[in-house]
Amino acid sequence: MAAISEANERLVCAILAEQVSTLRDRMDASAAFDQLWRTTALLSWLSGLLNDLSRHSTVTNPILERERAEAIAEIAEIRRGLDELAFFEAQRQDFAKQIADCVVTALEKMAVAEMPAGTHFSSTDLAALYVSEDQRKLHDKVLSRLNPGGEKLAPVTQNEPESAPHEHNFAATYNLPNGQDHD
Amino acid sequence: MPMILVLDDSATMVMSLTHILKGAGYDVETGMNGREGITKITDGAKPSVILTDLNMPELDGIGFIKEARKLATTRFTPIIVLTTESGGRKRDEARAAGASGWLTKPAEPNQLLAVVKQLCPAK
Repeated sequence: MAAISEANERLVCAILAEQVSTLRDRMDASAAFDQLWRTTALLSWLSGLLNDLSRHSTVTNPILERERAEAIAEIAEIRRGLDELAFFEAQRQDFAKQIADCVVTALEKMAVAEMPAGTHFSSTDLAALYVSEDQRKLHDKVLSRLNPGGEKLAPVTQNEPESAPHEHNFAATYNLPNGQDHD
Repeated sequence: MPMILVLDDSATMVMSLTHILKGAGYDVETGMNGREGITKITDGAKPSVILTDLNMPELDGIGFIKEARKLATTRFTPIIVLTTESGGRKRDEARAAGASGWLTKPAEPNQLLAVVKQLCPAK
């Protein structure tokens, strides 16, 4: 009876792995990114065109000149915003795909038919697949919620870095490009 | 024009980084994993700065950094890790392998460019 139940669970895991895998493959926004970059390229071209027209114009019109300058400033602002949006979206999508990858890998491992009966895919095995501290924090949160006074399970969260998450640490604390070690 | 080598297994990340860096006046070479990065270097690419993800198939970021540090061309080239990982252990691992710096995703374009420009001003 237990063997049948275990086989069913593995079947469910295999199906779920396929479904999450399909979902992950649909997380493709390259067409949207392509449009974004085409738009920024077009804006860049328009900005250059406005400058060229102004340079080659024989008529001096202060109102048109002011409007040209305003338009160029506005174009630059929109370009910056679009660049930022595209970069953030790319990173967000990358992160979502990595989490989906982790779920698929875990489910595939749990679905392996050759896994000896009675063996399990543990939460520690799952933690080994994580690619970000956010996943580890979530993992620890679930552990403490589901297992508040039970068996002691080690948290998987790594030591916090000394710097803020978005801060860059380079030459000052790491190896300098010229080979001098400034640690 | 200084060249930046970008390594990431996410096509959209590669496209986005390329767009930002080219817009700032850099040449960009790309690879989808560490192995492709090493091949580019051994084929003659001389990057001024390398931006690499950590979690990549075939050869991951740490493996790439270790191999790149053995090559004469990239022995002292600044290598910036751009990754979702923010854990201290991973950071120490990258540092021990020879990484020059670290940026955690999500990073802002200006933040990224500030780091790259500091290491290698665009001409």
